[in-house]
Amino acid sequence: MKKKVIAALLAATMVLGMTACGGGDTQSSAPAESSEESSAEESSESSDASDAGEEESSAEEESAGGEEAAGGDIDTSEHVVINYMTTGDAPSGEAKERLDEMMAELNAILTEKVNAELEIYYISWTDYLSNYNLTLARMDGTVDLVGTASDWLDAWPNSKNGAFIELSEEMLQTYAPKTWASIPAENWEMCKYNGEIYLIPEDNYAQWTNHGFTYRLDWAKEAGLADGVHSWEDMTTYFKWVKENKADITPWDSDGTQYATMVGGWISSHSNYIAIEGINSGAMWGGTKDDPYTIYSPYMTDTDSLVEFAKMMKEWDEIGVWKTDVLNNTTSTNRDDYRIGKVAAEQHHTQTWTDLVSHTEANKIYQEDENAESGFFYFGEETQNVVALSITHGAMAVSAGSANPERALMVYDLLRNDPDCYTLFNYGIKGVSWDTNDEGLRVIPEGYNSDTDNINGMTNFWWGRNDDLEVRDATRDWDKIDAMYAEYDKIKIPYQYGLFVPEVDSIEGQISNINEVHTNYMKQIAFGKYSGTAEEIVAEYQAALEAAGINEVTEELQRQISEVYQ
Amino acid sequence: MSKNKQESKPAVQVKQLTLWEKIVRHRILILMCLPAIIYFIAFSYAPLPGIWVAFVKYNYRDGIFGSKFIGLDNFEFLATSGKLLELTKNTVLYNLAFILLGNFLAVFVAILLNEIQSKWFKKASQTVMFLPYFISQVLVGILVFYLLNYDTGLVNGILRNLGVAEESLWQPYSTPGVWPVLLVIIYLWQQTGYNSVVYFAAICGIDAEMMEAAKVDGANGFQRIRYILLPSLKPTIVVLLLFALGGIVKGNFGLFYNVVGTNPLLYSTTDIIETYVYRATVAEFNFSRASAVGLYQSVIGFVIVMVVNTIVKKIDPDYSLF
Repeated sequence: MKKKVIAALLAATMVLGMTACGGGDTQSSAPAESSEESSAEESSESSDASDAGEEESSAEEESAGGEEAAGGDIDTSEHVVINYMTTGDAPSGEAKERLDEMMAELNAILTEKVNAELEIYYISWTDYLSNYNLTLARMDGTVDLVGTASDWLDAWPNSKNGAFIELSEEMLQTYAPKTWASIPAENWEMCKYNGEIYLIPEDNYAQWTNHGFTYRLDWAKEAGLADGVHSWEDMTTYFKWVKENKADITPWDSDGTQYATMVGGWISSHSNYIAIEGINSGAMWGGTKDDPYTIYSPYMTDTDSLVEFAKMMKEWDEIGVWKTDVLNNTTSTNRDDYRIGKVAAEQHHTQTWTDLVSHTEANKIYQEDENAESGFFYFGEETQNVVALSITHGAMAVSAGSANPERALMVYDLLRNDPDCYTLFNYGIKGVSWDTNDEGLRVIPEGYNSDTDNINGMTNFWWGRNDDLEVRDATRDWDKIDAMYAEYDKIKIPYQYGLFVPEVDSIEGQISNINEVHTNYMKQIAFGKYSGTAEEIVAEYQAALEAAGINEVTEELQRQISEVYQ
Repeated sequence: MSKNKQESKPAVQVKQLTLWEKIVRHRILILMCLPAIIYFIAFSYAPLPGIWVAFVKYNYRDGIFGSKFIGLDNFEFLATSGKLLELTKNTVLYNLAFILLGNFLAVFVAILLNEIQSKWFKKASQTVMFLPYFISQVLVGILVFYLLNYDTGLVNGILRNLGVAEESLWQPYSTPGVWPVLLVIIYLWQQTGYNSVVYFAAICGIDAEMMEAAKVDGANGFQRIRYILLPSLKPTIVVLLLFALGGIVKGNFGLFYNVVGTNPLLYSTTDIIETYVYRATVAEFNFSRASAVGLYQSVIGFVIVMVVNTIVKKIDPDYSLF
């Protein structure tokens, strides 16, 4: 009998062993286990987290600010290394050398001022979100400063999971005084969860990340669109013309991941819908411009519009805008192809267009064809529906695993507010990676090589850029860019849900399933790959959304929004 | 087997050894087992308490055992997706095809290899068959895409050159029906060389005298295979099948994710538990839910191993695992 039991146990182990080890592919329990020890140690006392939520956080705060209280003055006698985590691919070869030169200069300043040095910890773009979250889950002090974002880098889920330290006002005032002073109180409010500040927002940097199509204005004119593309229908005309007149050019070599942005763009171009960010990647819930706090999902209500969309995308597919197997295409180099004139459009945000429209060295189309021009058709243009960026689209947080959170804040304060540190970190060494011209604009120095000297593309400091210290880039076509920004400024409304941090625990299962439904159907719809009629596929899609529980999610979000805003 | 032996022993009075005496007596054997024992303790027993993570709302700071207990909530999303049955079915059917066809082909290849007389050719063909096993699944996915994609794929390139009209070219990436066949072929291509090694080794272990005796008695090649080789391989086949069955609800994520990608047109025939869960949870980074799925698969795998083993035992106790 005993033997049998042992044998059964052995069999169980054999099978379960696979869960722990072999399941790594599906990111099962293995990584969780490795982080268990460190996190368990850190707060073994606080066993009942949910009830004692607030007490716990205040206790944590005390321990975090403990050293400060003891010393009175800030004690920086010990030299420390601060690791700054950012998304991006680590540079190699000569680019790395150039980066190291810059970092050496920067670290000299940082050592002198706060006795710390900075290192960059890269999360490469492949599977960046998983690797980003995994690194945070380690909580072993690998990283101190964490670049984050509420809409694209899980800032709030990570705050809730305990990955970020609570930044008390005293802490910020003591260790990041300039940052503290420069950010108005109402902006700090938007960085709070349960009354505690977790994020330092990038709130003094003008940028537009609303999406749209960058296209060849000169070709659009040839296609008969005298002042460019201003509607989705114009886009159809343009693509058709390109296909017919430019034999060896793919109108838009899209990859299969663009479906969500496309349908989102379509909806904002055809309604007053404004989305709540950070619930799911489709941004499927929100309100309208006039009534932001009545929550609905246009994916359920705007049926006619979706049918229209499905029809047009089928037309695009038939025109041959993208490659036949677009859904399996994950390695598109469309943006670089646009620069060299191999494709006729690029779908991305305004910030990318400001690069593509400018006569920079990399944009070969302007060197090869002097008539070449790039226009931008932004989503929401038809209905003048543009929402300004949430200030937590880029933000800095401090890892709860950090051994030196105070020093991390001091370093951040310098990076964000000290002109020398700022320009070094963002542009590189003056004279090597950048220079200024007579008008005070930023130019590239003699012998500059964009592949190796572009420090801006290596440090990726998107979590504390500061317009007070920015030096405008002379290579950018500011006339066009300013004109576009002015147009936006006229019609924009501020992001309406800055104070709202969604609590998704009770609806997480539904949201997962909705994501799955949305992805599966919208990929077919947005690339015109569905069989049957447009009406049928949209009806099927909405029925699947309903089965996945979209109405419950809408109700729950409405309840939470009402609590915050009424 | 061991039971039978014990019973047939004459009833001689043997002094019962204490545990410690046994350990001392068999110390060399135990020492030899030690690496395996340590391995299983470290990687299979020590992480077992971590299963708890499937029942909590995990948060980094409180750790697995400090986080809030939420019962079966983590399992709920699988059930409410309405796809659990279809996913389990796909996973199990694919694995059945992989296991049965895979083992069949492996035995077949092993026998063929055994019959090859030229040593040089034997080694060369073994190596060639073994090679695909070392290719990463990511590369396999890319290879398949460049073979089969519509616009620039090799297959369609050949068809175009043969003058096949544009409309009647092959479009596997929009045709879900062909994928069960394609995936099984890809799997077999990759794994058969490796799997056949085990059987080839088993064949090499068969007593040469038996074969010679059969030869002398006038058995031809086929008869020798039918009456000597196959029966001798039976225990190996059964044990390997039993081992494989434990993982029958665990899909081959690497293969499916890399070859099929995230193309929803193909999900009806290619979606397995792993790929679904990956897509549904990758955006949320939820350890607990991923572990819940792992546990679900493990429990089913455990049940299947126990049931099949019991059945095998009923039929022939010699072949059962335990």
